[in-house]
Amino acid sequence: MTQSSSARIVAVPGRVRVFSVVDDARPEPEVVGEHTDWGAASEAELSMGFARGDEACLQEVFRRLAPLIYTIAYRALDSSSDGEEITQDVFVSAWRARDNYQVEKGSLSGWLIGITRHRIADRQRARGRDLRLVQAVTNTSDVQVQPETLSTLIDRIVLTEEIGRLPHPRGSILQLAFWEGRSYPQIAEQLDLPLGTVKSHARRALRHLRTQLTEVTSWPT
Amino acid sequence: MAHLSPDRLADSALGIADPLTAAEKNHLASCAECRSELGELSRIVDLGRQPEHVTPQRVPTDAIWQSIQVQLASQATAPATTEPSAEPPPAPPTIAELPRRTPRLRSWFLVAAAAVLGLIIGAGITTVAVRDRVEVTSSTSLEPLPGQTGQGTAELLRDRGRPELRVQIDAPPRPDRYREVWLINTDGQRMYPLGVLPDDGRATYPLPPALASQLEGFNIVDVSIEPYDGDPAHSRESQVRGVLPA
Repeated sequence: MTQSSSARIVAVPGRVRVFSVVDDARPEPEVVGEHTDWGAASEAELSMGFARGDEACLQEVFRRLAPLIYTIAYRALDSSSDGEEITQDVFVSAWRARDNYQVEKGSLSGWLIGITRHRIADRQRARGRDLRLVQAVTNTSDVQVQPETLSTLIDRIVLTEEIGRLPHPRGSILQLAFWEGRSYPQIAEQLDLPLGTVKSHARRALRHLRTQLTEVTSWPT
Repeated sequence: MAHLSPDRLADSALGIADPLTAAEKNHLASCAECRSELGELSRIVDLGRQPEHVTPQRVPTDAIWQSIQVQLASQATAPATTEPSAEPPPAPPTIAELPRRTPRLRSWFLVAAAAVLGLIIGAGITTVAVRDRVEVTSSTSLEPLPGQTGQGTAELLRDRGRPELRVQIDAPPRPDRYREVWLINTDGQRMYPLGVLPDDGRATYPLPPALASQLEGFNIVDVSIEPYDGDPAHSRESQVRGVLPA
């Protein structure tokens, strides 16, 4: 089996490219004018355009990150309407508060995820009040199963995105190991790579994930 | 001994390392830094095995983006840029958080922006007709929101002195949804649910007695599309809207 066909097995189509601060080796743009093609911009470029108040840049940031923000909110609140509302709210709030965003302090995606975390927590607290009200009215006191914490959920979604974005063969190796439960010798055989190489890629991929996760979740909240 | 190397920690978390030596175990037992790093790497491996995919195709980005634009535009649009009119348009509502019972409407600013731009046709019609003992004190046309279809009217009535709202809409609901009629305050903070709209699109609702003499700002007639989820809050999806004259 060839490498490319193996990669296709685990490739997930339609994945958006989200975090690119660390990976991007592209130089900073010398001049960013009104007609910059934001579709091809790195996140660092987008972050600066956003901070400067370029509305075309906001649209591109939205295009790239709205699916992630929506998915976090939708999964945390189990409601598509809450997911839509929070996504809208996050981008509107972020745009209005863009003066507070400092490029040097961290990634734009991390900043937006921080805002998302706050909005979801607010909504969850409000729901807690609703739930207590319902319980008071109906005189029930069912113990609620403690849901997955918001932080864990966000980490899982971010990690899934990152794993999906890892370049070949690193991405294929981690996807086969993590998502399909293959052993490293099996992966080495399937991808026709030496076992040592597979392990080395997995090791570096894990350390990369560690860095990226810190990057997007370390904003002070 | 020295700290465990990053590679050694990563290998251990991934389960691809040779077993830890006695010296390494001893170090881990005494070194909080290495323990913490190994713990975080192991947590990432654990979480990485429970993927949670983002599926952009399932995200209604177009609708959300449209709402964002309207919301941002509603602040940027100054009344001076619109045609001068005898009556000032209602002020755009604040974006303060609404209580849960009255969640902020996603498309709320569509109304505000439309009002500012003078796009709401039919508001301001004030007719007084007497049919039997029912008096129509004011009315508005109900216009579809972007992406929706349907037209209708809402009339404020007095039936033997009691305030009522009569609603007529020409479009049917979607098969797996029902519709609900609301009176929303122009402050963007409060709303009253008046009741379920039958599938034929015609109904008359009594208003809360406090609104008998004046609408107190509850001038916006909204017809929402509601899923059968048992959630009493507004779904944030509206079919038609209109504004009754203040």
